[in-house]
Amino acid sequence: MSRLAGRGVGATFACLSVLLGGCVSSGIVVHHMPDQTPAADNAAAIAQAASLAATQKSVRSQERSGAVPPVLKPADAPPLTTYDPWERFNRFNYRFNARFDEAVFFPVANGYRRLPSPIRTGVHDFFGNLAEVDSIVNYTLQGRLGRGVRSLGRFVINSTLGIGGLFDVASHFHIDKAPTGFGTTLAKWGLHPGPYLVIPILGPSSLREAVGLLGDYGTSYGINIADLYRGDQGYGLGTLNAVDERANVDFRYYATGSPFEYDIVRFLYVRKLLLQDAGLHKTRIPKPPPGAPAGQ
Amino acid sequence: MKIFITAALALTLAHPVTAADVVSAPAVHGPATGLADSAALRATVFGTPPQDIAPMPDRVPLLEIDIPMPWAQRVPQIFWYDKKLRVWFSAQKKPAPLAIVIAGTGDDGNTSSIATLRGALYGAGYHVLTLPSPTFPGFIVAASRTGVAGDLQQDGQDLYDSIERIVAHLPRGVQITDIDVLGYSLGGANAGVVKSIDTRERRLHIHRAVMIEPPVSLFASMERLDKLFAQSIGSADEGIERLYQRLFAQLANFYRASDRVELDQSFLLSAAAAVLTTDQEFSAAIALTFRIDLMNLSFAGDIYARTGAIVDPNHPPAVGQSLEHIEEVLRAKPFADYFNEVFAPYYLHHRPHSTPASLVADNNLKIIGEALSHDADYYVQTNSDDLILDANELGWLKSTLGSRIVVYDHGGHLGNLGSRRQVADMLEMLAGRWQGGAHGQEGSAP
Repeated sequence: MSRLAGRGVGATFACLSVLLGGCVSSGIVVHHMPDQTPAADNAAAIAQAASLAATQKSVRSQERSGAVPPVLKPADAPPLTTYDPWERFNRFNYRFNARFDEAVFFPVANGYRRLPSPIRTGVHDFFGNLAEVDSIVNYTLQGRLGRGVRSLGRFVINSTLGIGGLFDVASHFHIDKAPTGFGTTLAKWGLHPGPYLVIPILGPSSLREAVGLLGDYGTSYGINIADLYRGDQGYGLGTLNAVDERANVDFRYYATGSPFEYDIVRFLYVRKLLLQDAGLHKTRIPKPPPGAPAGQ
Repeated sequence: MKIFITAALALTLAHPVTAADVVSAPAVHGPATGLADSAALRATVFGTPPQDIAPMPDRVPLLEIDIPMPWAQRVPQIFWYDKKLRVWFSAQKKPAPLAIVIAGTGDDGNTSSIATLRGALYGAGYHVLTLPSPTFPGFIVAASRTGVAGDLQQDGQDLYDSIERIVAHLPRGVQITDIDVLGYSLGGANAGVVKSIDTRERRLHIHRAVMIEPPVSLFASMERLDKLFAQSIGSADEGIERLYQRLFAQLANFYRASDRVELDQSFLLSAAAAVLTTDQEFSAAIALTFRIDLMNLSFAGDIYARTGAIVDPNHPPAVGQSLEHIEEVLRAKPFADYFNEVFAPYYLHHRPHSTPASLVADNNLKIIGEALSHDADYYVQTNSDDLILDANELGWLKSTLGSRIVVYDHGGHLGNLGSRRQVADMLEMLAGRWQGGAHGQEGSAP
């Protein structure tokens, strides 16, 4: 969750949740979920299968040609345990987040997901376009100028042809979305994820990624594009940004039913960060000290 | 795909092993297990390809219903989030028959398999109610009378009573003309038992039951999956560590070579297909998926039965406490340990005339064999290469069901769920139009 989302999350949710929180009778809670679209989902899966096959083919040919040195060996994999020195605090926050999500965040986002799709897509593209500014800055800081120029191109096209970012026209021109942030910049500079951290309301993170979020917010606030970030409109937009982001995350707390869900999410989140880190360093992979848990 | 994802999840459950313990895995080509062939393993891991999925409707409405069950036991603190049973309901706008779907081992009532069945059934004009497996922690906590899951009769009774209560509380205006029950995998066996209970108690008037790839002997099926674990992974410690290291390195190399920026779900899907390639890896993914389901089952069962096998009953883990040491104990426990340490002690105590052998015999589809044989409203769909059945069990199903079973040549376990042929046959069976003879008993997967 990013940029504007930190603002104005509180009271608006509380009011909306009463309206959207579901019908309650004799302890029974009913949520109206968005309609399922199995025909479209399956058509999308067929289309995706073709593109997946293409990805696999290109990766195999690259591997054969040895174009991506050095190749990771199984012994290079991070340990199975995760660096979590603040576990008690994190578990408390995880539980708080689960309760908050069930009572407020999810019902609001679920109500929002029942709005017509063009409206939701417009909102999502609008915030995605604002985030391009931060991506341009961070790609530059990472020394990936080509990607920075792509983000700049996307921002210019979508802000003009896409009417202030409401339409993602650039993707139609095959300039695909590839957001980055200050957390990734810190990773590129060689920082490890650091201690696992569950941030209240926002969810799983690490110390490095949390600093990254602050950096992203600072960047956006500093540039203050179209004066959206300062003043009262920031609260409304921040709330909408948070709802949009939640509505686009397909996750329910404790849907696994498992008492080990905290551990599962921690494991997957940190491994995903470490996989991304491995992708950032094409020639040299930073290694934690021997014997240290993953992330340290 | 669920299998790949949960296999990845399962990797969380190991603890570090020093480098000296890590022995490089031998390269394995060809069948690793002797339990199933390569095609069956592959189908089990990857499921029905999207292009083979039956026609689906454009839109399916969905209600998520959280409903408390009055007979539920006091909820242990650690399961604070599972107080109500969560089920899903899709209503037709006009009077229609109700299809009740029961999920397979460890699954909740909204898995991708369930979504496929829901789509097919809703498209064919049914109201659809989907329930978790009685082995899913959410069901154990919110709807089980014992907390010790895996007993066919007890789980069937808990399911039956839950269904009755849910149906009574469906939204006003829903008009139900008939009730049928279905289930896949263990849920298939549960569906059969639920119908047999209804024949006795007549509270729901369930018409037909379609059992999709059910086990025959529950415990034999589970022991077969444990054997797969031992053969494909080895010991819980070094084996899991070794598998994890190999998968992580392969995923990282795939990601580095793909030139993608975002590590999203579509990337993980293609990566899964790229890194899981050998029979040993397919077997490991299947075995790990079962093991993580078993861990939840054992943990919940031990807390309710207060056996002390896993946690001290007088000092159960508190909310916020690290559970790593419990995971270490649990991940090494095969099904036999659950049976010997939790299940059998509990049921032997509560059923004075039972013996371990009688508990095994009671958890077999043969307990409803009479009904399966004589009642024309039971149907079975299965595969000749299903890894949870052996030849004798498949033979028993065929001879018992007669023309009311269809056996596809290929599909492994659930590897053809949702395919055109499976769905078409399932709908014929539910509608009472199934002409076993017309298709022949042996069918082939599409």
